[in-house]
Amino acid sequence: MKHPAFILAVVLLVLSAAFISYRIIWLGYPLFPTPHVKAWGLSMEARVKPYQKEVVLRIGLPSNHTGQVVVEEQITSGSLGFNLLREGPNQIGVWSGSIETEGEIIGYRATILLKPNRPPQTRPPKLEPYPVTVGITEQTLAKRLVARWKQLPSKARLLAISGTAADDWGEPPPDTKDLQAWSEFREKHGQRTVLLVLLHAANLPARTVDGLLLTKSVASIPIRWIEVWTGQEWNKLQPETGMIYHKSVMFLPLTTGGLPPVRVSRGKLSEIRWTLSQQIVTQWRAQFERTRLSDHLLDRLSLFSLPPEFQNTFRIFLLVPIGALMICVLRNLIGFPTFGIFMPVLMALAFRSTGLIYGLIIFAGVVLIGYVVRRLIDRLHLLLVPRLSLILTLVIVCFTIVALFGSKFKLREFMAVGLLPFVILTMTIERFFVIMEESGAREGLHTAMGSAAVATITHEIIHIESLQLAFFVYPELLFAVGALQILLGRYTGYRLSEFIRFRNLRGS
Amino acid sequence: MIFKTTHLLRDTGVLGMNRRNAEYIMKYNPRSAFPLVDDKLLTKQLAERYQVPTPPLYHVIKHHGDIARFEVALKDHREFVVKPARGSGGSGIILIVDRIKKEFIKQSSEGISREKLSYHMNDILSGIYSLGGLDDQAIIEALIHPDPIFSTVAYKGVPDIRIIVYRGIPVMAMVRLPTKASDGKANLHRGALGVGINIARGTTLSGVHRSGVVTYHPETGNSVKGIKIPYWESMLLVAAKAVDMTGLGYLGVDLVIDQQKGPLLLELNARPGLQIQMANRAGLRSRLELIDQAPSDIFITPEIRVAWAMEKFSASDS
Repeated sequence: MKHPAFILAVVLLVLSAAFISYRIIWLGYPLFPTPHVKAWGLSMEARVKPYQKEVVLRIGLPSNHTGQVVVEEQITSGSLGFNLLREGPNQIGVWSGSIETEGEIIGYRATILLKPNRPPQTRPPKLEPYPVTVGITEQTLAKRLVARWKQLPSKARLLAISGTAADDWGEPPPDTKDLQAWSEFREKHGQRTVLLVLLHAANLPARTVDGLLLTKSVASIPIRWIEVWTGQEWNKLQPETGMIYHKSVMFLPLTTGGLPPVRVSRGKLSEIRWTLSQQIVTQWRAQFERTRLSDHLLDRLSLFSLPPEFQNTFRIFLLVPIGALMICVLRNLIGFPTFGIFMPVLMALAFRSTGLIYGLIIFAGVVLIGYVVRRLIDRLHLLLVPRLSLILTLVIVCFTIVALFGSKFKLREFMAVGLLPFVILTMTIERFFVIMEESGAREGLHTAMGSAAVATITHEIIHIESLQLAFFVYPELLFAVGALQILLGRYTGYRLSEFIRFRNLRGS
Repeated sequence: MIFKTTHLLRDTGVLGMNRRNAEYIMKYNPRSAFPLVDDKLLTKQLAERYQVPTPPLYHVIKHHGDIARFEVALKDHREFVVKPARGSGGSGIILIVDRIKKEFIKQSSEGISREKLSYHMNDILSGIYSLGGLDDQAIIEALIHPDPIFSTVAYKGVPDIRIIVYRGIPVMAMVRLPTKASDGKANLHRGALGVGINIARGTTLSGVHRSGVVTYHPETGNSVKGIKIPYWESMLLVAAKAVDMTGLGYLGVDLVIDQQKGPLLLELNARPGLQIQMANRAGLRSRLELIDQAPSDIFITPEIRVAWAMEKFSASDS
């Protein structure tokens, strides 16, 4: 089978498969796009009162980073002005302006998508300098204390240091003088700082993070934890007890580097509340948001980069080739007779807005009326082009009547009639008439039923939402559709209908 | 079950629509030759060049302005046929059997006024009956008086003979008999009767009506089997020549037998239907494959090709 058509089909199939595997393996696309994904809804609400007239409020907001995408941010600022600032790695929302003494309510809402299957950060973070409040003597003391763990792997080193929060220094215990000095140091600076100093002395990059525990909850104060890099991942540490959080515990960071998540100047925060809830987001939006921020070529070539109003058009466009493929199968493999080649595809697309049953009823009604009128005007001996124009006018008249009828009886489906392909209907009426005249009513009705059946089957198939999504996420599937169309173009076997047609010939 | 049926059909050598299109029409019928068969006027001129008889041409109307003068061109012909040059399936054809002072008499013995006939010609020129709605020409030619051989099994109209020709070799043939149901038209879709023909002897086999096999005419009750068709060999020869005329390798050749003038070429079809297999109760595919295996020297002249076909396709008369 070395026909060039087969080679072309195979090339197209390989191309399609290559693009899809690239997206799945390297870009982490979902293997089976499901219509819905889970996401977190964050809602922050705060009431602020001024000391004087002017007030400035800085609040850490969740930002995009590995494993997390923030979408659909909404700001409520009342009479205050709002600005978004970057402070180091942090995204800070700044509300500022003058307010009345009774205060103002400000708010922030966002949807947060988590991408657990994204590979974590691979570049190790830099070791930050010691906190400025820590003097040289404390630094050398810390170095002396951790010297005994130098040989341990980073994860074990972290475990050993976290134990010091509970005064567990392991065996043998360090010099009592050193321990004494250390607890004085701890008294002065607090457990968190001394832990950071120890981690630094042990060559473990660490940072303080303020944020929220990612569970269904309402919180009025953010929590604070320490993140320690052990070469593969960030380990999260409870700063007071030194306890290491289990991996399954999820956090939503607001600020990192010890920056307080909420800062108010010239005013007072009388109340602040963060609410976290689980949300269902359609995969359409989830996909759109993830690709919007990517700089991979195929992500940028994605249809999700189109403005949303054009995306809807393409959702339908991409289905047309599947519809055409269905026509190939139904006509050349099964043997359905249809009016014209693509008429049923256009019918099926039109049924999307009217619904299948109403669509078929309207279609049958209009063709029937058209046929009767066509019979009547046949006696007038009108020339071809004016005659078709007249039928077109009739079709539009029918649409108008159907729409008015729909509006009277509050049937939306009847009002959506305008999207039915009227040119195709006009040609269908003409073809129906010609077939009825030339080949008789049997053949005419047979073809009409065939067309309706093909339109129905095509409609049902392009209606499958996961199929629509699959084509939208992986437009290269169109290559595969093309390959199948080529293969069908070389199918020279019998059609299913021919078994019936030639049944009398079997074995004779 | 489907596999079994596929096997049965293949063993019978039945040709399906997909294979006909991909392996025969697309392979052997160049697009550029299609106008020669789609336009009956071009076919007529071509036939004349190859000395193949066609119904005598009286007049051609090319422009709307010429319609008024067509009677002058008719001279004293009292009976004639008006047909669109690019029509299909027998649509737009009017048979006139007589002219009286004010009107013409149709074959159905109804009258048709000059005005109405002019209207009809207007329609033809506007392309109402033409493939794809292109502008057309109206042909006025002699009325056929069919040979009485089929008079017992045909209702009015003109029975015609369809011969499928592959690479110049007649493969299969049938005669299409108009019935009352088909309104005198030799169109199988409309209920005409298709009766297979033994290529070697030119005798009729059983027939197909709608989708059932018949041996008797459903309306007259007369047997359709065993009728010996006159001029059989010369008709096969005309069919064999059609490939030289048009360059089309897979062709349906339609002929009629006139009482006086003998066999006349009516039209050619570049996409002949598959119904002929039912009329012959035999598959085309096995015969087409036989031709593909034939030595190249049998393709030299139409005479050799016809002789080869008559020898090979002398299949039993079942």
